[in-house]
Amino acid sequence: MDFEPRYSQEQQHFRTEVREWLEQHVPKDLANPADSAKTTYEDYLKYRELGRKLGDKGWLWATAPTSYGGGGLSIDHAIVIEEELDRYDLSVPPYYDSGGRLGGASILVWGSDEQKDHFLPPIFKGEVRTWQLLTEPGAGSDLAGVKISAVRDGDEYVINGQKIYVGSSNGAEQFWMITCTDPEGERHQNLSWFIIPADSPGITVTPMDLLIAGGEGGAGTGVKNTIFFDNVRVPAFNLIGGENNGWRVATTHLELEHGSGGTIRRNRMVDHLFEYMRELKRDGKPLLEDQDARDALADFYIEAEISRLFGMRNYWMRHSHVPMSYEGPQSSFYRKSTGLKMAQRILDIVGPYALTNDPRWDLSDEHMEVYQRSSIVALHPGGTTDIQKVIMARRIGIGREVKEKQGALA
Amino acid sequence: MDLSLSEYQQQLKNTARDFMERECSKETLVELDESETGYTDVIWQRASEIGWLGMLVPAEYGGAGGSLTDAAVVYEQLGSGPLSGPFFSSGVLGALIVEESGDDEQKGRYLPGIASGQDIFTLAMTEPSYGWKATSIQMRAERANGGYKLNGAKLFVHDAVAASRLICPVRTHDSDYPEDGVTLVVVDTSAAGVSTRKLSGFMGWVGEVTFEDVQVDDSAVLGEVGGGWEPLQRAFRRAAPVLCAYKVGGSQAVFDMSVEYSRTRRQFGTPIGRFQRVQDHIIGIVNHLDAARWTTYEALWKLDSGRPADTSVHMAKAVSSEAYMQACNGAHEVHAGLGVMREYGLTLHTRMSRTLYHVLGDPLHHRRLMVDTLDI
Repeated sequence: MDFEPRYSQEQQHFRTEVREWLEQHVPKDLANPADSAKTTYEDYLKYRELGRKLGDKGWLWATAPTSYGGGGLSIDHAIVIEEELDRYDLSVPPYYDSGGRLGGASILVWGSDEQKDHFLPPIFKGEVRTWQLLTEPGAGSDLAGVKISAVRDGDEYVINGQKIYVGSSNGAEQFWMITCTDPEGERHQNLSWFIIPADSPGITVTPMDLLIAGGEGGAGTGVKNTIFFDNVRVPAFNLIGGENNGWRVATTHLELEHGSGGTIRRNRMVDHLFEYMRELKRDGKPLLEDQDARDALADFYIEAEISRLFGMRNYWMRHSHVPMSYEGPQSSFYRKSTGLKMAQRILDIVGPYALTNDPRWDLSDEHMEVYQRSSIVALHPGGTTDIQKVIMARRIGIGREVKEKQGALA
Repeated sequence: MDLSLSEYQQQLKNTARDFMERECSKETLVELDESETGYTDVIWQRASEIGWLGMLVPAEYGGAGGSLTDAAVVYEQLGSGPLSGPFFSSGVLGALIVEESGDDEQKGRYLPGIASGQDIFTLAMTEPSYGWKATSIQMRAERANGGYKLNGAKLFVHDAVAASRLICPVRTHDSDYPEDGVTLVVVDTSAAGVSTRKLSGFMGWVGEVTFEDVQVDDSAVLGEVGGGWEPLQRAFRRAAPVLCAYKVGGSQAVFDMSVEYSRTRRQFGTPIGRFQRVQDHIIGIVNHLDAARWTTYEALWKLDSGRPADTSVHMAKAVSSEAYMQACNGAHEVHAGLGVMREYGLTLHTRMSRTLYHVLGDPLHHRRLMVDTLDI
């Protein structure tokens, strides 16, 4: 066994190349606030610019095929890129995007050659940002119950309805979404998957007022939006995987969103917590010497480590093409449920300091206070903890003769 | 990065799994449950022949000189039984203490016997004032007749009755530092004045050892007089994750058992696994299982590859002890009445999970040591 990426000499050279390149191309004055809602539009444009430059190098979606604008690189190269960006506290891509990791994966599996040629290169090169549109007011955990309608009209479909908890601040160039193309049809066989230009007439984007905007890993989103569709016309070419086949197309990105992609990033809250423990006192005694605080830290640390290990295991399984079963939703469930516990451990350890972002008393550039909110919001995106458990149970085959298979991945 | 077993380890795993299926049926294990030593001569002999007691013993002393991960792969399978008997006590902990603390002559004297299964070692450390810190070692060895005389009691000694030799940490002189003055003494269980007996109750093969004017000569001292604590800790650090792997195997068995039962047991006209409350118990089990598995194997990898491993070892020990116990608790929720019928086999694990909970230090002990290692 080997729990660390192995670097060949060639990869070490690659690391040097990436490091030097990032040194030149990551803007020096880029702010990375704990609450991504505070990212300015100017900075957002710089992040996008960085994304495009990474895309040109083939480093934005390093393992995606070169024929579709990806880097065609090995997993070990991708890890090097992620690690080097992580030194700047940046992820790949350096802004919120559902195109490369999720939508692109579905198009790779389910799109026609023509569709792949058309849609994938702009995504993998970072020329466009793409949002996912899944949840509706009446369809959250029961995602297959979406009602937004798409009706065929000649060479086009006409879309009407509403999606919520979408995207981020600063807009996007395109969306992908599941729609209902047969309201009377059988469940799971009445949905269709589209990719849609965001500037299509009839689309209105309205920010939602939330505790904080959640996201599943990667860069923060700033805000979430409601999107209204009023007779929005989409070319039939933009239907991926065929009419009424949308649920199967969705299983690919849902699989990834349920944690099967894995991650090698660690929870940086550990560092902030250490900082508070060094600085604060309780009842006149350094917090570091308080046994209760140390015991709570042990719980926090262990939960963070188990979460990291589950993410790493999945990362390895995904990229080594080891068949997966319940591991994706397990990682997601564990991260979500322990995130909430870990937030409480922080409250136990540092007290009300954890709840303020007042510049005079906050020691973490707002990370502590943001974590108290984001750990709550993180319970739902990509499926609630209960949904993760439902999927785990099916995959394990609890009470079933036949185990459910994971969604198709490229 | 590669989280799979090597081809060799896969072979070890298959051999161990076949052995468990062939030699250690549920009926055999249930029968052993009430035995004095937890094993049969046949099982011990076969396991010795395969080489499981010498996996960690260097080749020059008759062992295989394998890695800790190699041993863990085998012990994980033994834990799936769970196969009782002094396999870990002698083949892992005993062997590693001798290796870490003994000089060449002592290694030559003791290790071949451990590796062949001829000798059975166990650690007799804890006392009525129970604990795994140096302060808890209070039993004294007094200078007498050109050697040492031992009086006192060691309590909660695993495999005390099965053992032919005890490694006893005793105090040979007082010091301001409790770690200083601890001496490791090897004592034959057949020596005059030594008596061992198995404790009754909800624990397996844990005993009391009493010493009444037990005379040993200087050659019985393993390593330096008064300097036994450090090598003992080094041995603990290497042995603990192998014990963790044994608990991983136990947790895996309990998980498999529960999933199977969720499919076959019907109530209200449907398999009970269709009920989400039942599913929750099994999901709890698998989360504990995998937490134990990956903390354990990461710690093993760090040790085998010479990386700093203290934090990981303490974490794995805390996580796997809790995991095995919680996995059993979850399995009892799933199995209800059937689970407490001894012949079913679940209670073998349940009792083992309790028995092993404190060995080499309980979860709280290790959580605290883990925090001590963090670079805050």
